[in-house]
Amino acid sequence: MEKRQFRDYTISLYHQGFLDDQFTELKKLQDECSPDFVAEVVSLFFEDCEKLISNMARALDQTGNVDYKLVGSSVHQLKGSSSSVGAKRVKGLCVTLKECCDSQNYEGCVRCLQQVDIEYKSLKGKLQDLFNLEQQIVQAGGRIPQVDI
Amino acid sequence: MQRDSFSVSIENLPDSPMGSNKKMNKVFDKMTQWVTPWRSNSESPRERMILRGDVEQDEFQYASSHCLSSYYSVFVVRLAIMVMLAILIGLLTILTWHFTRIYTKQSLQTLAYGLRYELLQRPILRMWSVLNTTSELTTAQVKLSEYVIRKYDKPTTQEELVEMYQAMKDVTWTLFASAKALNAITINYRNGFVQAFHRDTTTSSTFYIFSDLKNYSISGTGPKDVNGWNNQTIHGNMSAIWYQQQLDPVTGAMLGKPRRIPPDDLISIAGISQVPDGEASWHVTVSKYMDSPLLSAALPVFDASNKSIVAVVGVTTALYSVGQLMRDLVEVHGGHIYLTSQEGYLLATSTNGPLLRNTSKGPKLMKATDSEEWAIKTGAQWLQKTYGNNLPHVVHAENARLGDQQYYIDSFYLNLKRLPIIGVVIIPRKFIMGKVDERAFKTLVILISASVCIFFIGCVCILILTNGVSKEMKLRAELIRQLDARRRAEASSNYKSQFLANMSHELRTPMAAVIGLLDILISDDCLSNEQYATVTQIRKCSTALLRLLNNILDLSKVESGKLVLEEAEFDLGRELEGLVDMFSVQCINHNVETVLDLSDDMPALVRGDSARLVQIFANLISNSIKFTTTGHIILRGWCENMNPLHDEMSLNVDRKKPLAPMKTKLVQHRNHFQKSCKNANKMVLWFEVDDTGCGIDPSKWDSVFESFEQADPSTTRTHGGTGLGLCIVRNLVNKMGGEIKVVQKNGLGTLMRLYLILSIPDTVEQNLQPDFSKYGLVVLLSMYGSTARRITSKWLRKHGIATVEASDWNELTQIIRDLLETGSRDNSFDSQHNIADSLRAELSTIQEIENPVFVIMVDIGVLDLTTDIWKEQLNYLDRFSGKAKFAWLLKHDTSNTVKTELRRKGHVMMVNKPLYKAKMIQILEAVIKNRKRGLCNGIRNRGNGSDESHDCLEIDPTHYDTCSSDDSSETSGEKEGDKPVKSSTLLSPVLKNYLIDTTNRNDDSTSASMTRKNTEEEDWKDRNNRLYSGIALDGKNPKSLEGIRILLAEDTPVLQRVATIMLEKMGATVTAVGDGQQAVDLLNFRSINAQDSTQEQKSSEEETNVNPQSSSRYSSPYDLILMDCQMPKMDGYEATKAIRRAEIGTGLHVPIVALTAHAMSSDEAKCLEVGMDAYLTKPIDRKLMVSTILSLTKPSTLVTSYSA
Repeated sequence: MEKRQFRDYTISLYHQGFLDDQFTELKKLQDECSPDFVAEVVSLFFEDCEKLISNMARALDQTGNVDYKLVGSSVHQLKGSSSSVGAKRVKGLCVTLKECCDSQNYEGCVRCLQQVDIEYKSLKGKLQDLFNLEQQIVQAGGRIPQVDI
Repeated sequence: MQRDSFSVSIENLPDSPMGSNKKMNKVFDKMTQWVTPWRSNSESPRERMILRGDVEQDEFQYASSHCLSSYYSVFVVRLAIMVMLAILIGLLTILTWHFTRIYTKQSLQTLAYGLRYELLQRPILRMWSVLNTTSELTTAQVKLSEYVIRKYDKPTTQEELVEMYQAMKDVTWTLFASAKALNAITINYRNGFVQAFHRDTTTSSTFYIFSDLKNYSISGTGPKDVNGWNNQTIHGNMSAIWYQQQLDPVTGAMLGKPRRIPPDDLISIAGISQVPDGEASWHVTVSKYMDSPLLSAALPVFDASNKSIVAVVGVTTALYSVGQLMRDLVEVHGGHIYLTSQEGYLLATSTNGPLLRNTSKGPKLMKATDSEEWAIKTGAQWLQKTYGNNLPHVVHAENARLGDQQYYIDSFYLNLKRLPIIGVVIIPRKFIMGKVDERAFKTLVILISASVCIFFIGCVCILILTNGVSKEMKLRAELIRQLDARRRAEASSNYKSQFLANMSHELRTPMAAVIGLLDILISDDCLSNEQYATVTQIRKCSTALLRLLNNILDLSKVESGKLVLEEAEFDLGRELEGLVDMFSVQCINHNVETVLDLSDDMPALVRGDSARLVQIFANLISNSIKFTTTGHIILRGWCENMNPLHDEMSLNVDRKKPLAPMKTKLVQHRNHFQKSCKNANKMVLWFEVDDTGCGIDPSKWDSVFESFEQADPSTTRTHGGTGLGLCIVRNLVNKMGGEIKVVQKNGLGTLMRLYLILSIPDTVEQNLQPDFSKYGLVVLLSMYGSTARRITSKWLRKHGIATVEASDWNELTQIIRDLLETGSRDNSFDSQHNIADSLRAELSTIQEIENPVFVIMVDIGVLDLTTDIWKEQLNYLDRFSGKAKFAWLLKHDTSNTVKTELRRKGHVMMVNKPLYKAKMIQILEAVIKNRKRGLCNGIRNRGNGSDESHDCLEIDPTHYDTCSSDDSSETSGEKEGDKPVKSSTLLSPVLKNYLIDTTNRNDDSTSASMTRKNTEEEDWKDRNNRLYSGIALDGKNPKSLEGIRILLAEDTPVLQRVATIMLEKMGATVTAVGDGQQAVDLLNFRSINAQDSTQEQKSSEEETNVNPQSSSRYSSPYDLILMDCQMPKMDGYEATKAIRRAEIGTGLHVPIVALTAHAMSSDEAKCLEVGMDAYLTKPIDRKLMVSTILSLTKPSTLVTSYSA
């Protein structure tokens, strides 16, 4: 029952475009030696996100002399890490944000940044749910099923 | 005349409209005829070119239309030149002719005029003289008459009168007789008495005519009327009686009696009517006695008082003599002359025609127009017609056309008082100008014909000249077009190559992924058999496709000039041995021997691109295998020293070779080569790949090296292949400064010969050949394949080792028995009837060797493996194991039972086929080493009395057994026994390497339990395929990066973590740092520490053969650096630059792989620019990363960059 739920949930995440193959790759790397690898990486990612987003927000707050370069490099980092984790939506937004940043479009940057913020938070929630499900399965003594996309 | 020449010129001028049209057509026809061969020539290239595609066809059509237009222009030019020539020649002709004619004509006309004038002058002068004579005579007669009459003045009596008459008669006769030309003299007295003398020319008699005196009175007449003269005519004086008396013409004596004559017979007698004014008068008369007109003059005789006329004297002269003169003149000059009076009456002509007209009233004068003579008549008529009646005094007509001839007509006017005379000369033109005209005509004809000839010759010359010029121009135009087309074709070919180079690069990447994924799939346990088979098939196909792609990439790389050869030291012999080992497996399956025959002087180490070198021979050998079903494939190699001294010479040799187009490339390359390694010795290494396959037709010898070219297209179906292999080979060989060609070979098959120019490092001493001759070795080669056996034995003998060959079991046993069963030696000679004499001689020499060491090389193929007989055979051989060393040549597929059996029997020297030099040396060394040890042992154990060689085996049985899980036993054996044999130290790397190869191979082939289920053959292909398949195989191996130490510079924690885990899972040791600065610091620190060990490692490199991954362990603290490009503090580019700076002088080169989220090719360029080796994009693709890392950390594989 839980397995099925897990599977469906995972598939829905893929289908809604939250995640992509990179996440699968990540999961493959998880084995007995590093059982919490994915969670670890994901939490690293979210910490990173939080930090970078706040950086960017701060930079964009200084109306008048926005340091686009700082925003740009932050976005670049965010893009890199999100693509590594497989956070597809975040990555897509990063690309858009990068473009806005390059063209020094303040409005666009702010809007995109808000979206990124929303997106990463929703992803965080979803993944939290996913991990919870996983935990339940593991606690119930079951194996986490392979999910083929 | 003028019109004549004009008409001629019209006919001649070619540009007159009618003539030119016709001529143009003719000339055009002619030219098209001339042009036809050219056209037909141009036909065939066109057809050929049609095959090449539409573009060229269009081009050619354009060209041909262009040709046509140029042809027309050439035609027009020719025509113009010809017309000009014609005009020129025509003008010249006409001018020449005209001027010559004009001058001749003028001078001639002057001459002719003089002649005519002269001609006419003479008759006129004669006429004049006739008139003069007549006039003088008349005057004389008058004077005499006056004298006589005065003397007898007023005769009164009849007697006086008679006397006077008689005196008159005498006087007159004297005068008449003296003037022979006179026709008659008449004296008509006032009283009517007439006295006359007359000469009749027809009868040539002279008459005296007188009238009857009786009728006249002296006075009677006197008073008659004032005039004194009766106005009666003489003829009318009918009353008078006339007498005629013939006279002697000379004396004037009377002959006969006077005779009365009728008045009709009278001659004309001048009367008073003729002198009406008392003046002299002239007129022309006719007489019936004369057929020519007569000129008569009349003068009155006055009396003493001079007041009255007493008598009239008439003198008549015939104009006959004038006519005679004219005739004489005409006889000489031709033509006609006539004289007329002013009225037009003919006086004299040069003809004999009558001048008088006979009428009923007697003869009358006739007009010139009525003359019976045609010429005179028509001439007179012409004159009358032209000038009418008022004829000018002088006429000179030159072109009077009379009838159908032309005449000169000249007339002169002789103005005599009372008798004006006109003389006319009619001369036919041809008499004067005939010759001239004829000449002129001939000249004209000659001139015209000459000019026509010149014209035609000129035309021909022009045609030939322009033909040549236009042909040359056409050829040039053609050449230019061809060059242009060629340049375009080359450009497009170049584009194609570049496109292929780029494309196949892009194609290879997904192919690698496909193969990698397939490998994963194959290793998956949950596949059904069917699926497994399918996937294996897909894997095979993918490999084939990848190989094809590799070929294309190689080719286009070479063609687009992107291929850069490595310059690294490598062991040539080892590479080739590996290659032969590899292919021998395939060959043995094909029942083909593979033989490596390298000469001893080949350098062990050379500098160059080993991978490419191996590729050359791999392609050549695989090609040979493809076409060889039985026989052998021999790879021969020898070298030719190319010292700087001999450089010149070898260059000369090169120049003689026919492959000229490559020459410049070759020389360039060599120059470059010489520059790059000035102090290195260069060698020309010659190689031959000799097979006994189907061979190549000599006509295809050159073309087989072209891309997609196969000797026989039909072979594609049987043998497959794309025809790219040899092309790549040739390109690579050329790139290495060599050449390859197919060489004439005796017998079946193909012989490819090539040479390469490679440099040999100075530091390395030449390969020291161990000296075996002193050990007294005797080798018995019992091998299946004759070629390999022959080559090996040749080599052994060369090194002073006695060698005996045996091709099958029977021979082997006989020789063994002969050599080793000392007891039966004498007998054996008799029984060995089937051994050849030479062999026997050899055996006997061997038997003379003291203390021989027998080495028996036995091919496992000699044993009968199909049944169990081999065990018996083995047992038989085992009997001699004490006396000789057995070395076994195994096939790769020799079953384990045989191997274990051999091992059990104590045969430890086993090598895989093919047997080549290095293996042979190794075996011999092992034997010698054992023998030495055996000798030592023998000394120690002398008391035991056991056999030496037997001891040898007995001593170390465990040693061999423990280590010999397979044929690598010898390696381990040697490792322990290195020290005693000095020379083996040198050789050991070589040996170990190939033995390791063999080990791996055997693993692959024999252990079915391994996860790799690939068939053996495929493995070989993969090997050949070097890079990708290898990586792909490694990729599925979870620990493929075992032992590689990686420095990861990545600031993003997420990525850092992911990458670390990823790499660690594959067995790599990962050190992660957060930015570029840390990475540089770490590297510097570590390398300083590592420096000592690096040097150590360097010195020990030659003897310790470690696998490539670990070999770099000492050279640098890390095997590889994964570098993020965008990092805080110091970004990847800067870090790379710093690292590369630090590396300068150390000779190290740590591969650096860029990691970046950018996916632009410009980033790649930037990465490579700063010194990175490869480039990976985020997110990291595991397989791609693995393949990249492996390709960079394995020194033997080609270093290339793989970008996603």
